Amino acid sequence: MLYDPLMRAYFPGFPEVVFLAFVLTGCEIDGSDNLPRVPDQGLFMLADANRHEGNDSAQVAAAVFNDGEPVNLVGGDLFEARTVTERVLLKQGGPVTGSYAASLPVDDSVQDVFLDVVHLPVEAREDRWYPIDLLNTDPGPGELVGKSAMVSFPPAVTIAPLSQTVYTSISDTIDIRWNPVSAGDLMRVLASVECTDGPATSSYGVVVDNEVQLDMDLDDGNEAISLDKFIYDLDAGSDTLKFIADAALVLLQEMLNQLSAGNIDPDFLLKQREANPIESTCEIRLFLQRQRPGQFDAAFDDGRVTGSSSAEITLTYIPSAAFN
Amino acid sequence: MTYMRLCRQPFFIVLVSLIPFAVHADSKQQLDGNLLLTGMDAGSSDNFKSGRAITLHYNYYFNNWLAADAGLLLSGKTLEESSEDIVGAYRTNIQTQALLLGVKPRYRLESPYEFYGRLGLQYWRTELEVEEYFGEGIPEGTSSATDTGYGYYLGLGAAHYVTEQFIVLFEISRFMQLDVFEGDTAYPFDLAINAFSLGVGYRF
Repeated sequence: MLYDPLMRAYFPGFPEVVFLAFVLTGCEIDGSDNLPRVPDQGLFMLADANRHEGNDSAQVAAAVFNDGEPVNLVGGDLFEARTVTERVLLKQGGPVTGSYAASLPVDDSVQDVFLDVVHLPVEAREDRWYPIDLLNTDPGPGELVGKSAMVSFPPAVTIAPLSQTVYTSISDTIDIRWNPVSAGDLMRVLASVECTDGPATSSYGVVVDNEVQLDMDLDDGNEAISLDKFIYDLDAGSDTLKFIADAALVLLQEMLNQLSAGNIDPDFLLKQREANPIESTCEIRLFLQRQRPGQFDAAFDDGRVTGSSSAEITLTYIPSAAFN
Repeated sequence: MTYMRLCRQPFFIVLVSLIPFAVHADSKQQLDGNLLLTGMDAGSSDNFKSGRAITLHYNYYFNNWLAADAGLLLSGKTLEESSEDIVGAYRTNIQTQALLLGVKPRYRLESPYEFYGRLGLQYWRTELEVEEYFGEGIPEGTSSATDTGYGYYLGLGAAHYVTEQFIVLFEISRFMQLDVFEGDTAYPFDLAINAFSLGVGYRF
């Protein structure tokens, strides 16, 4: 399934959204399925709220699936995300059909985000130009209205300065250290990599989680990740890297956009992968994310809702030949 | 039906009743009819297709360069491009009529040409309709509302005298309707109708 590149949203809690589609087999890319893993039966809720270091807003995304198919909220039904003091409606399209996203203002005092499906026939139409309160065909609330979820932000992630930020070999190890909380939260790393080799460039995204590296998800305050998790040899391939197919580039692009608060090249991941990373100078923006499972309405048969906090560091790979 | 309603407007009746009287006047009067290609602009994210309208004008010349201008604007139903958002798909259309009253200065050249302008007030009646579709299994619907109010109009044109009586006119004009649905909604808007027109006139 291909996604509209204009679908703008971020699903940081869904690494599988990105991953299911792209397992590199040599240079072959399988982009056949970008849907998150949801059960074939029942009502399933997906939601995530991520707060990135230094940002005064959290990125919130939510979706409901019924029997494995995303449910469109229409007719004035929509997700509302709120804290004690702030409230937003999730009007932006998310990365998959039926998913929705918005930015929710937060500060350090905000711990919880409540998500509800509400029916607001006028507010839902506020982007239209005509008198929406006068001309409004209201079909009434849909079946999902009243259903809810709640997520809590885990403590902020603070990454300790790296002992080195320039690496010359993919066998080097990046020693990431952060403030451990040990509260059962799950950790993962996302990265955007941009390589240049003369006129050739290469851009791609990588996720390192428990599926890629054992115990990666432990919030124990340190993780040693080999650089070959991020830098690969285009000629040799690597079974530890998961590359991003064209369709899913959009998803990860949006994820990185949100994590970097819009400071990333909007076409970052859409550029052609031409330069061979192992032979190129690469800038690696590395995002460390702490995730905490949330709660969802008993009306849902199943779900996966998370609150998360993230921080980033940047490091550089310069191949030894170039370095010398 | 819209045209029938307009025919019952007192202003229109007065305008039409002037015609036989005017025919006997001493070439101080002019009747012209124009076909307009219009562009509606509600001042926001609307996306109207071009539309059609007609105007009828009656002019009484006070002197060689200034005339009274009375007229009637009738637009066809102008459709907006369909749009889609989180609520569903929707499309609006607008239909409007207006009575016009103003002045028309002109400058007659030595050649069989003249340039003129129009400036005046309008009393308008506008109907806005919205069609909405929500998807399979959810009832679609159409809602509409009508409002009346005041505004202004202005235009610049050129006329070619085929004979001293028959004229061909080309004009660009703008009809501005102010505060449409003011008082009925928290979201009133101004409607601008910009138009190119081609018409014929008769002087008598």
